[in-house]
Amino acid sequence: MVYITSWDEFVERSIQLFRADPQSSRYVMKYRHCDGKLVLKVTDNRECLKFKTDQAQDARKMEKLNNIFFTLMTRGPDVDISEVSGKEQSEVQPTKKGRGRKQ
Amino acid sequence: MVGSLAQPTHLPPYFKLRKVSSKSAREREREPSLFAFAMVLLQPDPFLNELTSMYERTTERGSVWVTLKRSSMKSKAKRNKMTSAGETIEYRCLVRATDGKKTISTVMECQSKLVLLSFEYKLSAKDHLRFQASYATILKAHMSALKKRERRDKKKAGDGQTKQEDLKKPPKKSSS
Repeated sequence: MVYITSWDEFVERSIQLFRADPQSSRYVMKYRHCDGKLVLKVTDNRECLKFKTDQAQDARKMEKLNNIFFTLMTRGPDVDISEVSGKEQSEVQPTKKGRGRKQ
Repeated sequence: MVGSLAQPTHLPPYFKLRKVSSKSAREREREPSLFAFAMVLLQPDPFLNELTSMYERTTERGSVWVTLKRSSMKSKAKRNKMTSAGETIEYRCLVRATDGKKTISTVMECQSKLVLLSFEYKLSAKDHLRFQASYATILKAHMSALKKRERRDKKKAGDGQTKQEDLKKPPKKSSS
């Protein structure tokens, strides 16, 4: 299994995957404290997308993805997630500003 | 023999006894699925508490998996019946967490559709957001072994785990 290295690609493809088959898709987050590793996985039992990181800043991005998936799963796959992402983005904004970069 | 394998503590005693008496230790080893049955469906708050202690238990070794899945919490047969009867199936978000030995789960109610229908669901919609927030807080508090960026130490991360190198921050931050 190859890990996806780009976060944006991972998010985009995993949402796509979920929307294609919400019934059998799941989103798994594995955290291993002793190694300081975080692995995210989205799969529909046919295709599997994985993302691995050891960076704390990715944990913040993961929070955003968590919220997206919470929304998708409770409100249905067709729901507009831009408000979720938008809201989260405004939350994330300060850190972005701090880094002096824009997305 | 009883203590040879970690028994889920949340099981009622009679279940424990029956299991021990009907299965040898070897049989149980061969059938890890037995323990999958021991999954407990909890209310959101107990779930979060349990999740917290799960993270605390696995600081030295072990991992924690948290799965989000869309589920109707109904059997396939029931779903088929409802579909053919033209009923709409309500989906919720099933949250499961495991450390490999013990599995806990909870269900998040539907957020929007039912909000207008009853006050009860309004509460659950709020619960949903509250759950999301406390879940995020728990994760933040326990994922302290992740490396922070060197430039800034905004977060209280670290925890003495600074052995790994910065492998992958540049590609992910690529400006679009």
